Amino acid sequence: MAGSPQDSNRPQNTRAIMTFLREHAPFSNMDDAHLAHFAEHATLRFYADGDPVITPEEGVVKRFYVVKQGRICGERPSEKEDRTETTFEISVGECFPLAALIGERPTRTLHRAAGDTFCLSIEQDAFVTLFSDSEPFRDFCLRGVSSLLDQVNQRLQSKAMASMGSSNTLDTPLENYALRNPIVCSPDLPVSKAVARMHDNNVGSIIITDDNRHPTGIFTLRDLRTMVAEGKSPLDTPIGQVMTRNPSSLTSDADAFEAAMLMAEHHFAHLCVVDEEEHLIGVVSERDLFSLQRVDLVHLARTIGTATHLRTLVSLRSDVSRLVDSMLAHGADSGQVVKIITTLNDVTVRRVLELNLKRNDPGIPFTWLTFGSEGRQEQTLLTDQDNGILFQTPEGMTADQVREKLLPFARTVNEELAECGFTLCKGNIMASNPKLCLSGDEWDEWFIRFIDASTPQNLVYSSIFLDMRAVYGDTEPLRLLLDKVLTRIRKNALFQKMLAGNALQRKPPLTMFRHFRYVSDGDHRRALDLKRQGLAPFVESVRVFALANGVETANTLERMSALVKKGIFDAKDGNAWREAYSLIQAIRMRAHQEMLKEGEELSNYIDPDDLNPLDRRILRESFRQAQRLQQKLEVTYQF
Amino acid sequence: MLERIRQWIERRKGRQIGEHDFSNLPEPKTSGNLLLDDCRLIILDLETTGLNPARDEVIAIGAVAIQGGVIHLDDQFDLILRRPELNIDETVLIHGIGNEALTHGHETQDALLYLLEWMNGDPILAYHSAFDQKFLEKALKLQIGYTRNHLWMDAADLLPALFPDIKPGGKGLDHWAEHFGLEFSTRHHAAADAMATAELTLIAINKAIKDGVKTVEQLNTKLQYHRRLQNMHRF
Repeated sequence: MAGSPQDSNRPQNTRAIMTFLREHAPFSNMDDAHLAHFAEHATLRFYADGDPVITPEEGVVKRFYVVKQGRICGERPSEKEDRTETTFEISVGECFPLAALIGERPTRTLHRAAGDTFCLSIEQDAFVTLFSDSEPFRDFCLRGVSSLLDQVNQRLQSKAMASMGSSNTLDTPLENYALRNPIVCSPDLPVSKAVARMHDNNVGSIIITDDNRHPTGIFTLRDLRTMVAEGKSPLDTPIGQVMTRNPSSLTSDADAFEAAMLMAEHHFAHLCVVDEEEHLIGVVSERDLFSLQRVDLVHLARTIGTATHLRTLVSLRSDVSRLVDSMLAHGADSGQVVKIITTLNDVTVRRVLELNLKRNDPGIPFTWLTFGSEGRQEQTLLTDQDNGILFQTPEGMTADQVREKLLPFARTVNEELAECGFTLCKGNIMASNPKLCLSGDEWDEWFIRFIDASTPQNLVYSSIFLDMRAVYGDTEPLRLLLDKVLTRIRKNALFQKMLAGNALQRKPPLTMFRHFRYVSDGDHRRALDLKRQGLAPFVESVRVFALANGVETANTLERMSALVKKGIFDAKDGNAWREAYSLIQAIRMRAHQEMLKEGEELSNYIDPDDLNPLDRRILRESFRQAQRLQQKLEVTYQF
Repeated sequence: MLERIRQWIERRKGRQIGEHDFSNLPEPKTSGNLLLDDCRLIILDLETTGLNPARDEVIAIGAVAIQGGVIHLDDQFDLILRRPELNIDETVLIHGIGNEALTHGHETQDALLYLLEWMNGDPILAYHSAFDQKFLEKALKLQIGYTRNHLWMDAADLLPALFPDIKPGGKGLDHWAEHFGLEFSTRHHAAADAMATAELTLIAINKAIKDGVKTVEQLNTKLQYHRRLQNMHRF
């Protein structure tokens, strides 16, 4: 609580508010003078449980609020029934309503107090002053969204939240988790006896209760360790003297998400579960929430890489899916997971090629190319084949003669890959297509035509052929080819502009009012296409910047990092976009895992109503980041 | 030498808080029909040298204003009075105001005039207001000969009168603050105590308006009724 020297000249209540603000982002990064400006211009308002705080009917939002105590819930009418549903929650230290205030529009959501709530608030004038004078504050407001993503991401990474694999488990009531008959004792029991009881029952915690079975304290193995390490109290101390008093508790109808958040927030691993009268009915530990599974990537990759039969490879595919499941459940970041899927897919493709070469080697040196999402190393479980061959023409042979030998080989490989779960490409972008089985010179000419004759069809293909990578064979021929292609694109401003125009075709699915814009096809009335509407705006915009600036990698996240390094993207923007992209990807992959579990066909469509409120909020904010990225593209290419 | 000039300037600074027009102080408002959701209320807390109004003195005044059911932080009062002659040994440990702070505090008469102007005759609420009222009225009378009556209300009556079903651990400010989960920035600092009292008052006003209490007068009636009820129970 470091106060500046001039703090002492400020009234006590101003200082107190500054101290409160300093504990929360973005205020923690703001200068004292700006905090003082906030505190001196603030009002403190009280809202009883259920009181509306801001309503859409009030018109354009004129105030900026920070929750000082209590909680605010966002509410919107449910379309199905005559009730409302909570869309988000704002808790102590958080600000609202950023989007409406900056957009100078009414709020779209009824903000209502949940429990007795105090809010600090400043008028638009003071807000504008802070916005223009304080860089951290401005950053926060503009990227408010992404700062939120920061926090969410941290939670995602944090152990607790991490394990909440699918969105369904988040909503599971605590009573569904095995609530072992909790081990309890009275406060006068010596620590040694209590620990013996914990040991006998093989648990890590014991709850101390009073005569009415109200939990009064908790003692965990960690407490024991501290006690022994400090050596202050002997082991015959009554446990009531060393326990942690007033243990956190939730009622059994609270859900796993609440429990995980509470644990993550306070860094404890056990929660009491109580009934309405606060009687102890169980204990939930971190471990209960997330049953641990071993993740063994290396082993799986080795098994795939040494499989001797196609049918082994086919059967190993289900292990890949299980691995992804468990990685997601352990909170692996979606960028890591897609890379792992890609790695395992690469291993599979290589093994299929090797097995075929063993059986029937066409005797031509070639490089196996992959395009599109596989080229970008962004494959998920739903993946089809986009591949091609770059061959070197041996002395005395024509390219057509080589093709005659290679195409039957490629066809078998394509078919076997299909058996392994890589769907045959409907657009025939496969190595067995004579147009995509080419020598280095032919590929070069192919790209010259592609770039010069930028037909609409070519532009559609840009997302496939401009994201290319070698999976098998010598990589040098591809490097030489890429070098030429990139140089040509860098010099061709018109092609860049057309690519940019194409990238801007796909708008993130938000309406002007930041509501979700649904796809219009008949089948998917309330659906969002996470791939085409969510990820594509990032992938396509980033590709334009990458190609225009000579970035060689095809991976979208790596492209963004490279663009930050080259100074094309502001570092903060780059981060926000990387995160937004990763979070959409994470939600998409979780949806895939769900569909797999339900035995449904994988699709990229989701109904946002099926998401939990946090994910819905993340998704909306991520789409907004996509809009910002597209705006940068528009400005750069002057649309 | 320089140091003495500096001190002298500091003292000058503390002495004058604007020009006061003694003959033209704001008129104290009688509650009349001041609307609760519109009027300005003063929430006041004093730190004193002791508990006996006959012997002890005011050393710090903290106050915040509620206007239209909202605390406005740009409208607050937080002054330590310059009273080097006072003996504060007994209480210095509680409020933390030592001799040094007192010698650099504001000249009492100035501060009191400033307070009257700032209060603007608006109704005053304090926790256990009888205490603050006695001290302030005595100080006003002795220091500047001011004897007009202001409308005082006791915040300690406000909450039990409006929340008859809530029984916190006791009647003190701390008990109610704890019940509503309020945090003191520092305890026994006039301004911080006034702030906590004001926060409780916001809660009370919110409830009062929901209960159909519209004016300060109606609220006062309710408080007096509650007080009479309490007194009856006592016998």
